[in-house]
This record gives sequence, structure tokens and C-alpha cells, in this order.
Amino acid sequence: MPSLLGNIFKGWTDYSKGNEEGGHHDYEHMYAMVIDLDLCTGCNACSTACYAENNLPVVGEDKFGARQAMHWMRIERYFDEPDVGESDTETQSRGASFLPMMCQHCNAAPCEPVCPVGATYHTLDGLNAQVYNRCIGSRYCANNCPFRVRYFNFYDTAESWPAPMEQQLNPDLSVRSKGVMEKCTMCIQRTRTGRDKAVREGRELQDGDIQTACQQTCPTSAILFGDLLDKNSAVSQIWKRQQIKLGTYKQDKDNPDLRGYRIFEELNVDSKVLYLERVREV
Amino acid sequence: MADKTHQTPKHLTGEQVKDIDENIAWAKINADVLRSMENPRRGYWVAMFISVTLFAIMIYAEIFQYMFGMGPAGLNTSHMWDLYISTFVFWIGMSHSGTLLSAILHIVHADWRKPIYRFAEAMTTFSLMTAGIFPIIHLGRVWNFYWVMPYMSDRGLWPNFRSPLIWDAFAISTYLTSSILFLYIGMIPDLAICRDNAQGWRKTLYSWLSLGWRGDDAQWRSFRVTYLLIACFLIPLAVSVHSIVSMDFAMSIMPGWHVTTFPPYFVAGALYSGCAAIITLFILLRYFFAFEHFMTFPILDKVCKLTFVIAMVWTYLNLVEFASVWYGHDIPSKEVLLAKANGPYSPFFWAMMFFGSVLPFFLLSKWIRRNMVVLFFVSVFLNVGMWLERWMIVTPTLSLGYHPQGFNVMWPGWVEWAIVGGSFGWFGMLFLIFVKVFPSVSMYEVKEMVFHRKRIVYEHVDEVMNMHAGVPGPEPRTTPTPQNTGGS
Amino acid sequence: MTTTKIDRRNFLKVLGLGGAGAALAGCDMPSYATLEEGEEQVFSYLAPEEYVIPGIGVWYASTCLQCPAGCGVHGRVREGRALKLEGNPKTKLNAGKLCQMGQAALQTHYNPDRITKPRVNGKDATWPEALAAINEKGGGNIVWLTGAISGHQRVLLDIHLKATGGGKHYAVETVNTKAWEAASADIIGDAHPNLHIDKARAVLSFNADFLGTWMSPVKFMTDYGRFRAAPRGVLTVVEPAMSLSGANADHWVAARPGSETAVALGVAHVLASKYGVTTTGLSVSTTDTIATMDASRVAALSGVDGATLSKIARTLVANSPSLVIADGHYDTAAAAQVLNLMLGNLGSTLTPSADLGAPHLTNIGGTTQALTAFAEDANAGAIDIAFITGVNPMFTAPYGLNMMDALDKIGTKVAITMFEDETTTACDVVLPLASPLEDWGTHVPAFGAGAGQIHIQQPLMEKLHADALGFGDILLGLAQDGGADGLDDFEDYYGYLRTAISALIGSDQEAAWNAVLQAGQTTAPTLERAFTINGDVTINVADTTAHGLTLVTTARQGLYDGRHANLPWLQEAPDQISKAVWDSWAEIHPKTATKIGVKDGDYVSIQSKGGSITTRVFIYKGVHPGTIAVPMGRGHSHYGRYATDVGVNPLNILDVDIDPRTGEINTDTTPVKVKATGDNRYLVRLMDTDKQYGRKLAATIPASQFHRTEGGA
Repeated sequence: MPSLLGNIFKGWTDYSKGNEEGGHHDYEHMYAMVIDLDLCTGCNACSTACYAENNLPVVGEDKFGARQAMHWMRIERYFDEPDVGESDTETQSRGASFLPMMCQHCNAAPCEPVCPVGATYHTLDGLNAQVYNRCIGSRYCANNCPFRVRYFNFYDTAESWPAPMEQQLNPDLSVRSKGVMEKCTMCIQRTRTGRDKAVREGRELQDGDIQTACQQTCPTSAILFGDLLDKNSAVSQIWKRQQIKLGTYKQDKDNPDLRGYRIFEELNVDSKVLYLERVREV
Repeated sequence: MADKTHQTPKHLTGEQVKDIDENIAWAKINADVLRSMENPRRGYWVAMFISVTLFAIMIYAEIFQYMFGMGPAGLNTSHMWDLYISTFVFWIGMSHSGTLLSAILHIVHADWRKPIYRFAEAMTTFSLMTAGIFPIIHLGRVWNFYWVMPYMSDRGLWPNFRSPLIWDAFAISTYLTSSILFLYIGMIPDLAICRDNAQGWRKTLYSWLSLGWRGDDAQWRSFRVTYLLIACFLIPLAVSVHSIVSMDFAMSIMPGWHVTTFPPYFVAGALYSGCAAIITLFILLRYFFAFEHFMTFPILDKVCKLTFVIAMVWTYLNLVEFASVWYGHDIPSKEVLLAKANGPYSPFFWAMMFFGSVLPFFLLSKWIRRNMVVLFFVSVFLNVGMWLERWMIVTPTLSLGYHPQGFNVMWPGWVEWAIVGGSFGWFGMLFLIFVKVFPSVSMYEVKEMVFHRKRIVYEHVDEVMNMHAGVPGPEPRTTPTPQNTGGS
Repeated sequence: MTTTKIDRRNFLKVLGLGGAGAALAGCDMPSYATLEEGEEQVFSYLAPEEYVIPGIGVWYASTCLQCPAGCGVHGRVREGRALKLEGNPKTKLNAGKLCQMGQAALQTHYNPDRITKPRVNGKDATWPEALAAINEKGGGNIVWLTGAISGHQRVLLDIHLKATGGGKHYAVETVNTKAWEAASADIIGDAHPNLHIDKARAVLSFNADFLGTWMSPVKFMTDYGRFRAAPRGVLTVVEPAMSLSGANADHWVAARPGSETAVALGVAHVLASKYGVTTTGLSVSTTDTIATMDASRVAALSGVDGATLSKIARTLVANSPSLVIADGHYDTAAAAQVLNLMLGNLGSTLTPSADLGAPHLTNIGGTTQALTAFAEDANAGAIDIAFITGVNPMFTAPYGLNMMDALDKIGTKVAITMFEDETTTACDVVLPLASPLEDWGTHVPAFGAGAGQIHIQQPLMEKLHADALGFGDILLGLAQDGGADGLDDFEDYYGYLRTAISALIGSDQEAAWNAVLQAGQTTAPTLERAFTINGDVTINVADTTAHGLTLVTTARQGLYDGRHANLPWLQEAPDQISKAVWDSWAEIHPKTATKIGVKDGDYVSIQSKGGSITTRVFIYKGVHPGTIAVPMGRGHSHYGRYATDVGVNPLNILDVDIDPRTGEINTDTTPVKVKATGDNRYLVRLMDTDKQYGRKLAATIPASQFHRTEGGA
């Protein structure tokens, strides 16, 4: 009995201590991203690379129209610019705003607590993992995601790969059956493989060892992926420069001109994708 | 009171003022109720056929969904939940009828519940059994539904106790178990009556179920205590069940769902739809089984008034929710509220408001309360309003949300409608079987009610105290003896 | 004209040997068991190469052939199957990056609609039968109709033509840079100047979608990343309908189709008159023309007002060095080069390209002038045997060229292709082609690869279909059998290439060859060059005063000119601007929509002199009110299960209006009548809203704020 109480209290201390500063005291890595909206051209290479890397099924026009498509990474395109005012009533004179949107791997993910069977949880790399073979498909997690980046397999997808297309499938991860939720994993198969490779080679992981599919193909290098716990990584340096801290939704910036921000930060989901504001000559 | 014993009961002339005629013979109570369990006539078979057909359609739709996935139901990336969840909440709501009547009113000694609580309690149990289908059917991988139960799995995995859906699983299974127990235990004396009057398979069935009930004093004393304990246990359980179901929404962050008044709001809505369903079944049972002596107009009046009061409570909580959004600063929530009123779902929203808040006023009209056909439809539409309310909670929020990418209007597919409609068939089947196998009016409680109303005092107290059920007792005196009135 | 007999025996030697002995570890014939049938068969190696560890991929370098740019790729191969393509980090052209068309090359390779056997008159046949059918009608005038070609494939093709009577090689590309090349060659003496967007502080583009489809988009996108870094460059794009480059512009200007020349000269006018930018070196006629292009004249011709012209000019002057690029019409490109001259950009953001020491390897570059010439020659009955590969003229040619009649009049049409399409179904003989991921080759990118770079293409895996032959192998066989000298020693194209490359690198050692394969490229000697300025240029300003609606066909990075419509990833990839999928649309301005009386999802019929198409409208402000822009790429009648009967093809209804200075078919001068048909159906797209509803999603800051924090003027 005393050890039971002791365990509870010890666990509480660890838990509450861990919650300070984004709760990453015991994390091995804290993978995050930086997406520069001024560099993103909206070319969609990242989205197609994600399809190729992660065995995403093509659903066709009807299902796409019924909003049952499976684009883990999507490029949204907006024509309004509320921050800088209406550009022109006659013509779209400042172009379009492109927004790559995928799972933000929130440290306080609203999708994690609500899964009845615990099929989605936070890994020690800081990623929000989706365990396909535990998912029973209650879809509560998708309801709770404010970014709407969770995708459900409403159908079986074998017909997406008529022979010999199934040979392109990446054997490093599964093809999901119907009834299972899925979303961007920040290429966890590459993350784990990269880490294993470093271990095999007897060295530390370095920034750039692991590249997500979207990051690797992005021609303008608008997407950066890295480890926030690695002081030398590009990503952690940008987060630091932009004065965005994990674990809080009210950032204390001494320079209000800094263009780093997180989407829906006020919901306190502690997302790990930092966006750099798009710039326009106004 | 004594003068009126030989007059024609006023209910047959439509002017009854008493909840029940205190001169009803106990034998008549038995006979009327037992007669309702006789071989059914054609109307029953028609109703059964309709129910079984709806149920068969549901089975077909579910097999289709099992084989092809959740897509044909019309669900998509924004609308991950739709009619399955809203109908689930609706059925849980309906289940509060029995608990309200049998438990809550029992504790406050409102004995007018006695003729009607049995079918209400049955309705509770069957509503729960219908509701329990939906959390299973709406799963993408239905065959793994048992993973929500905490069992010693060989993978060492437990369910995620932080999830409101797990709380649902516990709450509903507890509530269902308790309701079945409550229904069953409350029925034991009646089952003994049935046993004493039955033959063949029924006799065997009732003999088993009545657990050798003899109706002696010791048994009655234990019975009273047990019944009261379960009733007390059941009341907080009922409140907690629907509060927990409301937390499926309240614990999420979605605008329109993340509302602190949801638990009381849902419980009020549940009591509301339960009461409305009681009215519906009251009218049906009264008509088909000729229960006019027991399910009397004054009782109906009381049920209607209770329904009206709960409707007003529900309306108040509804307006509280709207007001808190309207005066608040949460833009997405306001968008959802305005979309409900103006958007593509607005016809259903306004229908819900009408059926939920305006239609109850019809219950105040005595003419309507006496007109069984009109009242039947009023009560059905009250429940339609409640079903629409659940739909309007689930779907407009999912059609909007924080991210404009998710803005999408969706209408349910045929699979959803088939399963929702089929659930009514399943409920109907269960209820129809119940009324023919088990007494849908609580005979012993009606006798208690008559007894207390009559304030009869027996000379042969000892004999009476040791009486067995079914054995005629000594003739009652019709005039009180001075020494036994005890101050009238 | 000499007769050509294709000797079956020689040709068949080439069959099955392609890639043998190469540094390849492939497994045996893959099973065709399908996911649908629930089968999975795994073949393991009997004797894999030593560096192959099951479960860990091997990367091979190759070249992407999805568009003429020729980016280097790395292909990830596991257990003998190519799984993923990435850019080759070692190639200067794309620096390890790849666009969505490159990513989708896997689906070109694994496409279920690939032709697997030769066909004669529509029926399956064997190679000997196919070759016999080609021989049947004897020799005569033998021509090749191809896309842009470079490297040793071009060498063999030229050898074949020379050996068989010197027939023509028509190189056709619908999306091309001919106008820019012609004007650049005339004005600065270099058809392919190096463009340094990363060094520019301002880029002004007239109709050149450099981020999307122009020249070498991946290269430009990698440069664009540096262009936007502090000190941040400013992008201005002038075009009739928003392209991907236009969507990324700081300043997007809608100009009437074909009026970009007027706008460019208008900017020159402002530079000269207001900012004193000199026009020395330019011819008198050009200076005069510039002087006449005042704001009111430009406005009448293009719809662009004086304030906009001033803004463009001011941007160029304030942000130096600048870079002006253009395409579409010769005059527009010429005006752009004039601006570059005036602004002194030559030598800083434009530098001379190096001459490849081996001119026979250079990229021939495709044009639509070649398409017109092919149609004319064929219609005149002058072509006896046509070898057609990498091009679909039935799909891309305007009806006015009478391509169907032209093909009918050709004696024997031989298609060398992976897919059945509108053209190949009209061909007598169809020869199955290996995919780019299964084939050998060398490629000299027309632009941007760095001086003298030759990109290597090597197979990533064994051929999926045994009867398909590599392009080089087919060329070698044809050349050998055509009687070309000096080729008899080569058993297959691999052998030929190996010899050629060894000669180029000066070593025939295995290690040296492997080093080339590992790098995916090698370098040929080059000759330095300088610009030769010729200011004596005549620029004609077309009369584009307002008149009705003009059809503009736009190319998108994705489906490109229609060649990728059979790739499901690209059909399902939302179009960058409209976000529509799986169907065509016609972009119109809200004012036009009001005039025609249409709303979102309404169908309109678009009728030109050549024909009509019916499609749904997409209404937004990113298009000039006088324009109806229909992207090319969809509308196939015959292109496999993913492309057939999906969308409409605007290329066919273009008028055959030829630019007199380049011979190119204009894609923005066709007047059309547009009418609502009354039908309406939701145009399926990624998102139903263009607005952020007050949420901070894609936020924007003014450049001044950027300068304050990250530097730059």
C-alpha cells in the first residue's frame, strides 16, 4: 500500500514537472517543423511525395467530392489577406496564399485523450503516433482535431493499386484497411530508420540525417524538419529566433515584427509546426 | 368517500377526477393485466411485422457497412459522426423515462406512477439495449468493439480511461445492468401472480423467474428494502449516464460542443423525451389492452404536466446555451449557432425549436389531453423534436469548426437512415415481446395504490398479514370502525 | 530516299539484353498477383549483389524524363522494385529536389495501362511481325516525330535519319521556350542565357511561368528559395491568367492576352522618361517604339493602367540587379531582353551559357512550329514512314492542322510508346517502350545544369514487361539495320553508351564508369562564350484593343501538356490555383461571369472557329476580364483508365495562328464565344472556400516588417 501511494505521488511529481516548458523533460527527441510561407510556392510536390512515401490511396472524383480523400499533406490556397487588407477589388494583385497543412503533432494534442482504446498517443520523439492495428475506428480523434488533418479509411483501398502499381508500395509501412484512422506521421518510418542507422554507425543523430518526404522534395526548401532538443538543428534555431516556446499559448516576444507563429495557438494545443508569415510588398 | 362506492366510475363518462377508482377488485386487476398477455390479435402481428421488417433492413444495412466500410453511410473527413451518434444519444435519453418514473417518483411517494411505471421501466431497458447497438455499429472496425472493456488482454493493453467514450461504456453497461435488475426485481411479485395463473411454457418460465416468491411478510420486507435501495442507486446513475454521454461532446474542443451546460441540458432533454415517450406508450397500451381503469386520465394529466415542466426546463437550458454563445467572444461557436439558425440545417433547427418549446404548450389544453389521437401525435412530435435536437447538436458543429477546410454540408446516406430506422424496429420488437410475455402494468403496485386510496381497515389483521397472493382474503368492511380509523 | 529494311535478326538481338551486366540487382519477373485478389508473392534473390541488404533500400542515380528539364533523380530500390524518387543532391540543376511530376514518374512506370506487346493494326503481335509490318511498304521518306531530345539518343536518331535518306526530325513540344530562345539569340547572341534568379533583387516575368512549367521549374524554385531570403527579392508577373509564378508574385498584373509586349514597352517607356534609364545600343526603331508606348496607349492595348506601369518600373529601379523574363510571343521576349539591356542586367543576372563541346548531344528543344511543319508535310503526302515517340499530336494539335488527315496520308506510322493514346491508336505499328525507370540514356538539359553537364539515365530495376524495349535499344537496332556505319560492334544501347561515355571521360575502367553512374552525371568539355549584343531589333506591337473574349490555354505543372493525365496521383493532386481535381474548368473573372450570367459550377460552351468545348467555370479575380483560360492536360479520348473522358481539351480548338517570328502556334489569340449551357454541377475541389474567415491561417506581413527583422532594404 505505501508503495502504491508512493508511486502515485512520484508519478504526479514527474508528470507535473514534465508539464512545464512543454513537458519534454523525458523526451528523447522533440521533432518539429518550420514552414516558411514566403518560400512555399504551392507547387504541391510535397503532397505528391507524401502519397508516394506513405501508400496513400487515390480515391477518384466521386469520393474526393464527398470529402473522403486521403491527402495527409494538403496545400490550401487562400485569396484573402486579412492581415494586410484587401489587395484590390478588381484583380488578385498580390497572388495567392498557400498553406501546407498536415498533422501538427501537438504536444497537448486534443486527439490523444479522447481515443477510447488509446490508439493515438504521444511518442518519446514528440510525435503524435497513430497505431493502426489498435484503432477501432470510433473517429472521436478526428472530431477533436481543430486542424481537420485526420483522415479515416471509409473504404478498402485495394482498387487504388491495380497491378502492377502495388509494387510501388513502400514496405516500410502498412496499407491501412477500412475502418482505421490515419494521418501524417512526420514519416515515422524514416525517423526510426534514421535513428537506427545512427545507432548502428555508433554516432549521434545529426540534423539532416532524417528528412521527411515533404521536406526532401520541396524545391524551395520551405519545409524544415528537425529536433527541437538538438540545439544545433536548423529548426530549433529558428524556433529560438522567432521566440516561440513550447508549453504555452501566450508567447512573450520582445520583437513584435517576428514572423513566426503557430496556427490555432489560442486553443492551447501546443502544435509543433511553426509557420513563418508570408511576405508581400504592400 | 364511502357514498360513492356504488356509482358508475366516472372515467367511462370522461369526467374522472381520481387517479384510480379505489373500489377496483384485486381480482379484476389480475384479470385485466393477465388478459393483456393472452394470444395477440391481428393488430399486434401487424406491429410486430413492421418492427421485424425495420430490424431486418437494419441488419442488411449493417452487413453492407461491415463489408464495404463506413463510406456509404455518407460520412466524410469533416462529418466523422452523424446519425449514429445522435440516435445513440436519443435512445439513451429515452431511457430516462423509466428511471424518472420508477425511481424518482417512488422516492417522493407519488403513487400515481404505479400503474404506468412498469412499461416505462421496460422502455428504459429496451432503449438502453437499442442505444447500446450504436457505439458498436458506428465503429470502423466493429469486430474489435470489445477492446473498450477493461479485460486482461495478453498485450497488456487497457482502454484509455481518459476518453469519454470509455466512460460511456462503463456508464451505459452499469446503467443497463442496473435497469435490468431493477425491472426484474420489481417484477418478481407480479411474476408470481403470473406463475399462479399460467400453464405450459409460461408456467415454467414464470416459475423460474419468480424465484419461489410466496408473498409472505419477511419476503415483502426484504423486497421493500431492496427495491428502495436500487431506486436510490439508480437515480444518480441515470443523471450520471446522460451527463457522461453529454461529455462525449462537452469534453471535445469543437465549437458548439464545448459547452459546460451540456450535462444538465442533456439530462433535461432525456427526461423530456422519456416523458413524451411515456405518453405515447400510455396511449397505445391503454387503447390496445383496455387499461382504462389503471391508466386513467388524471394520471395522464399528471404525466403531461410533468412533461410540460421538464420541457420548460429544457427550453431554459437551451436558451442559456444560445445566450452564452451569443454574448461570448468565441467566433467559431457563434458561427455554429448562426449556421443552425440560418444555414442549410436551419429547417431542422427551427422544427426542433417548435416541437421542443412550442408544442409542449399544447399539453396544457385539457381538450388535447383528452383527445387520444391528437395527444398521441403531439407526444410523437415531441420526441421527433428531441431526435432533431440531438442531430442539431452533432451535425452543424461538424459542418463548421475552426478550420475552413473542414466546412462541409453533409446529408446522411441510406445506410445511416436504414440503421436509424431499424433501431426503432429493434426497440419495437423487444417491447412487443415484453408486453405479451410480462405484465406491462404492475399488478401488486396497483393493488397497493388501491389499498392506500381506500384506506381500508381490516378486522382480521392477522389473516390479512399472512395472506398469499392470489388467495382471496376476508371480505373487506366498507365502513370504518370507530376504533380503527385512527383519526380520519 | 533509300529503302530501309529492318532486319529482324539484328533487331531481335537487342531484345532482352538491355541492361544486362549492368550494376543492377533485380529480381525475376514480378508476379502480377494483385492486392484485389489478396495475393502477395515475394520473390527473394538467389544471388543478390553484395551491397543489397533485404529491408534496406539501395539508391540509384538516374534522370527524370517527365518534362524536358531533365532533373537528376535518386531512385530508392528495395528488393528489385523502385519505390520512391528523390532529387539527386549532386546535380547542379535541381540540387536534390524534385517536383510532383517527378514524384509521379513511378506511376508512369507502374501504370496498369502500359502497352506490353507490339501491335500491328490494333492487334497484338510479336516483334518480328511488327518489324515486318514496318518493312512492308518499303522505304521512302522516313521521318521522326519526337519531343525534345538530347544526348546519345539524339545522336543515334540523327545517324538513323542520315543513313535512311536524310529525312526530317520534327521535335515537338507544346510547352516550350522558343520565343525566348529566338529573341535571346537575336538580341544577345545566346539562345539559353543562364538566368540567376537567386542573385536578382527583382524579377519581372511576362507570361513566363518559371516556377511552374517554364524551362526548368525545379531549378528556378531552388533559386527562388534564395531569392526570397534576405535581402528579399520582389516578384512581378504580368499575364492574362494566374499561373503558379503569378500566384507567388508580390505584384500580379492582369494583361489582355497577347498584350504583354505593350506592357513591357510601357515599362520601358516609364524607365526612359521618368527614371532616365538610357536606351543606348538600341536601334532607332526600338527607341521610337518605346517612345510611343505611353500610359494611355498601353492601357488601351492591355488594360494595364499608368499607375501599374509606374509601380513596375519603380520596383525595377529600386531593386537592382533585376531580371526580366518572358515567353509566348517573340515580341514579348524581345521587349524583355530590351528591358534587360536597358537595366544593365546582362552580366549579373543573365550570364552567357557555355557551348557544349559536343554539339550533337545538345538538346534539340521542341516547338509547335515543328508540329505545323509535320502536319503540312504529311498532308502533302510527303511522308512515307513516320516514327512517332514522346508526343501526341492528335491531342495537342489544333483541329485546323488537320492532323487526322495528315496521319492518314502517312504510309506507315510507327509509334514507339508506353501508352495507348489518341495518336498511337491511329498508328499502324505500335512498339512497346520501356519506361524511363527501366532504360538507359544520356540527357543534356537545355538549361541550368551547369556548364557541360550530361545527365545519366540508368534502369532502377528490371523491365516490368519482357517485350518492351528501351528507346536507345530501338534506335540502335533501327540505325544498324538502316545501314549506319560503325555501330555493328554494339550489342545493345548499354554497350554503345558505355563506350561513348568512356571516350568522354577518357577512361574505360569499371571504377570510372561506376563513378559516373553513382554521380548520375558527367561533364563534357565546353567553350566559354560571351554575349553579342544586337540592339537592332524590331518589335511589333500587336493590336490587342479590347474585343470579346479570348481563349488562353495554360499549362500547369502536373498534367503538363496532357502527357501525365494518366497518372492518378496527378489527377488527384489539386490544381495549384483552382484546387480542382479530376476535371477541367474555365477560369473567368467575376465581371465576365456576370456578363455571361454564370455562377460557380455552371457549364459553358466555348466556341472558336475550330470547334467547341463544354466545361465548368471557375470564377476568381486572377484572370483578365477579357480572358477565358482553360488549362491544357485533360480531355483525352484515349489514354487509359485514369485519363479517358476526363475533362476537356482546349488545345484542339485553338486557331492556327502562327507567330511570324518563331513559327509557333499562339495559345492566346483565339477569339471565342462563350455561352452558359444551363447545366450545373459542383466542381470537385480540395476546398470550398477561398477565405480564412478571420482565422490566422496563412498570415501575411508587409515587406517593410520583414526588412526590419530579417534585413535587406
